[in-house]
Amino acid sequence: MTKTLIKLENIKKVFLTDEVETHALSNITLTINKGEYVSISGPSGCGKSTLLSLLGLLDTSSEGLYQLAEHNVSNISKKERARIRNMEIGFIFQSFNLISDLDVEENIELPLTYRNDLSKTQRKQMVSDALDKVNMSHRAKHFPSQLSGGQQQRIAVARAIVGNPSIILADEPTGNLDSKNAEAVMQLLDVLHSEGATICMVTHDPRSAKRADRNIDILDGQVVADQHTSQKNTNDIAAA
Amino acid sequence: MATGIGLSVYMFSFFNTILYKDLPFKDGASLMVVNASYQGQKGERKINLHDYLEIRENVQGLSEFGAYETRNIIVSSRDGARRYTAVFAEANIFQLTRTEAVLGRTYTAAEDSVGAEPVVVIGFDLWQSQFAGDENVLKQTLRINGDSHRIIGVMPQGYLFPHSAQIWLPLAVDATKLPRSNSVDIRGLAHLNEGFSEDDVNAELSVIMSRLAQRYPETNSDIGAYITTIPGAGAGDGQPVIYTMHIVAVLILILASINVGNLLLSRALERGKETAIRVALGAPRSRLISQMLWESIIICTLGGLIGFLVMAWGLEITQPIVATFFADPLAFWWDFGIDAYTIKLFIAMVLVTILVTGFVPAWRNSGGDFNAVLRDGTRGALGKKAGRLNKILVVSEIFISMTVLIASAVMVLSAYEQSHKDMGAETDNTLLANVLLTEKDYSSHKDMVQFAKTLQASLENSVGIDKVMIASALPGHYSVKPNIAIQGREYGKSNNASYPRANYISIMPAALADLGVELRQGRYFNNGDDGLNKNTVLVTESFAEQHFPEESALGKQIRVVDSKSTRLQWLTIVGVVEHTIQGNRDGDAASIPSIFRPFTQLPTQQLTIAMAYTSNANLAAKSLRKALQGIDSELASYRIESYQASNERITAPVTFISNLTALFALAAVVLAASGIYGVMSNTINQRIQEIGIKRALGATERRITLEFLWAGVKLLLWGGLPGVLAGGFMGFAMAQMFGTDNSALILIFISMVVIVASTVMFATFLPTRRTLQLEPSQALHYE
Repeated sequence: MTKTLIKLENIKKVFLTDEVETHALSNITLTINKGEYVSISGPSGCGKSTLLSLLGLLDTSSEGLYQLAEHNVSNISKKERARIRNMEIGFIFQSFNLISDLDVEENIELPLTYRNDLSKTQRKQMVSDALDKVNMSHRAKHFPSQLSGGQQQRIAVARAIVGNPSIILADEPTGNLDSKNAEAVMQLLDVLHSEGATICMVTHDPRSAKRADRNIDILDGQVVADQHTSQKNTNDIAAA
Repeated sequence: MATGIGLSVYMFSFFNTILYKDLPFKDGASLMVVNASYQGQKGERKINLHDYLEIRENVQGLSEFGAYETRNIIVSSRDGARRYTAVFAEANIFQLTRTEAVLGRTYTAAEDSVGAEPVVVIGFDLWQSQFAGDENVLKQTLRINGDSHRIIGVMPQGYLFPHSAQIWLPLAVDATKLPRSNSVDIRGLAHLNEGFSEDDVNAELSVIMSRLAQRYPETNSDIGAYITTIPGAGAGDGQPVIYTMHIVAVLILILASINVGNLLLSRALERGKETAIRVALGAPRSRLISQMLWESIIICTLGGLIGFLVMAWGLEITQPIVATFFADPLAFWWDFGIDAYTIKLFIAMVLVTILVTGFVPAWRNSGGDFNAVLRDGTRGALGKKAGRLNKILVVSEIFISMTVLIASAVMVLSAYEQSHKDMGAETDNTLLANVLLTEKDYSSHKDMVQFAKTLQASLENSVGIDKVMIASALPGHYSVKPNIAIQGREYGKSNNASYPRANYISIMPAALADLGVELRQGRYFNNGDDGLNKNTVLVTESFAEQHFPEESALGKQIRVVDSKSTRLQWLTIVGVVEHTIQGNRDGDAASIPSIFRPFTQLPTQQLTIAMAYTSNANLAAKSLRKALQGIDSELASYRIESYQASNERITAPVTFISNLTALFALAAVVLAASGIYGVMSNTINQRIQEIGIKRALGATERRITLEFLWAGVKLLLWGGLPGVLAGGFMGFAMAQMFGTDNSALILIFISMVVIVASTVMFATFLPTRRTLQLEPSQALHYE
């Protein structure tokens, strides 16, 4: 039986800037099951990155319910949010977001240092495993500025998966990459998904979106389409 | 910038005026004063006439010698008598200063000899005030100490050499008629020969004085000589304070420069990508530098101008403030204000700060690896170079503020202790005055004693006066400090023991008791001590503890080691009183013990009169003038002031410097706090995205806060430890000079460390908290 990992009900997000209200998200209701590979697409400013921030507990909704692994995380404390981000969520950002003062190993190890339940040896092993997974072990002592964009993104992927999170959230992971490196990163995500990872990816690249099992389209802060990829392909063919 | 430049230029200008300014006449820079030293200690001691003559004959590095001394005189006129400080000098003193009389002439060598007609040269201000600028003044006389002196010349306006003189008289001393043991002490003057430095001449003097000490051990043991500039002679033992103040001034300027530099550097770093893009588009380096430099020029120039105005105002009010520190007029070269030196210094400081705060960062930023900047995909973190620079800035600010705070706190505490030291006497509702008896009318001991007794009786019968205390010096005031010998103890070269010194004061019998100087053992003076053949003495408990620690001092015999006298006069200690401080309040000077002789045994021509009044001070002053007039119309009282004011005046210079240092300390705290806050805030701002990343990865707010606080602690250690050492070194040097208690030093160190540490922690904590108020998503996308 498929287990629901994420459940959103009537999620709203309103930004108040200089007394101007911006309704970034309105009445978002959706679920994401464990093991699913979901892409979220839409034009610029539609609210997809906002939605990803809410999913990743990087921000809080103005209204609505958010359940993660059957726990209501809508109104939890900042400390609890941080703990969940650390234990359950792995982030991949468009601009990599590596710390320039830290070398590759230290960047990947960073989320593990926020835990109290791991020894140094355990952390080192987990980092090594993550490096192997992204084929970057030979660059362990390099600094981000010494890597290409594709390599930096692979390190970011390693950092996202090092703690075995429940879900990987990727915000335009190939946005800053050339096609070759983008393909390499997408293949990585495919591999992770095939190993059972739950992935939610924001993208406006249709080719990347097609790799996901399910596509959610957002427009003006609302979900306008939510289809499995196979069903979408069938519809496209039918429309053609 | 205004604070840094203003305070620094003020401090340098202040000390330059007092200590380093060239005297305002030709060859003023080479004119030196020859002083004596005792046991290696300098201190503006006069030099024995015979020693001076020996130096004149033998030293290579000096030429054009002249001698002088200053003495109080009474000038009598139709309007009454008035006290002046006159200069008794050799005839060539005017030639030494390359100055001629503006009316008449100066005196000749013939007139500067024993038995010559009494003549006098007067100053311009005296000519104007007493003779209304009368051109016929050269036909007039001035009655000085009861004798008529023919006025032969008037010196130009502003000529007050060597200090604040208005009257010059021939020294008229014949060294051949004075044995070395009974000679006079004078101040020597000479010009430094070209090719010789002060150190060269001082080395010569050391050899000469060593020879004299071997030849005349009774008079010249432990006596040395040295030269210094006339302004520099005022520094004396105050060198540590002067050096400290200069260092503090420079540190304040550096602190201000760091603040401005950091501001400009942050802006440059923020615009690093913009700069890289400009370079990519073909902008020449000079264009980039000039763009960044203009900001520095504007800030430093504007700040400097504001600082200049504040500094000018400060120097202007300094003159009247400093004038209150001294009973006599200020030294003639003490003209606080904007001069060439101040302007040059100001311009130099502005240029240096522009260079340091603007040009150097502009040069560095315009020559970087722009390709890397354009390519850099890392977010949030500061970049290694910029991060290191920020750390250096913060560490520097911490070091400087710690150093300045500790040194200033020691200075403030020392000044406070000095100004609140117990002199040993009660000073409330007491008016002081000085009287100088003329040599002519009061040459005998009997006359002087009679005068004192008559004056005391007359004043005690006056309305509004409760008690009258007459002495050669009162507690708190300077007195002579001769060498003392204790019967039964050996002194001299044979056993390397030198004579101890003590303050030596003549005082009327009931005065000590009336002044509230408590009796510890024995008795006060009484009528039984009257008479020149009586040899009794009171000592302070500090004297008794120092020389008779295991036994009572009562009945012991001591004598003043007077090389001028061949007769050994042993004095019997009849009483021990509480310790009194005579003169300086600092360190060793305050702990010098005192011995008191009855005025009837050792009368003096210079008297200090203290009147404890019951009504008001004006009435007391009036009574004094009336009493003096009734006894001798040719006598005048001077320095009429309250006892408290008199004591405050002695500590006023230290208090003034202390107030300045407190101002510097305040400036340091404000500059450091704002600077450190600025740098830390800037650093944290530039790491907002990094903070967002770490929070996205699960770091709690507490974790982030502790991380930054720990970074602050490390910076505090890097800057604070050297700062404690540097400030401690300066503070310790000053504490030794002022005699500040070591336990107080430790308390100061701890307090200042707490202040700086708190500042750093707050400066780190507040921006961190502010940043953590952003949601992680906002921090991630922060630009």
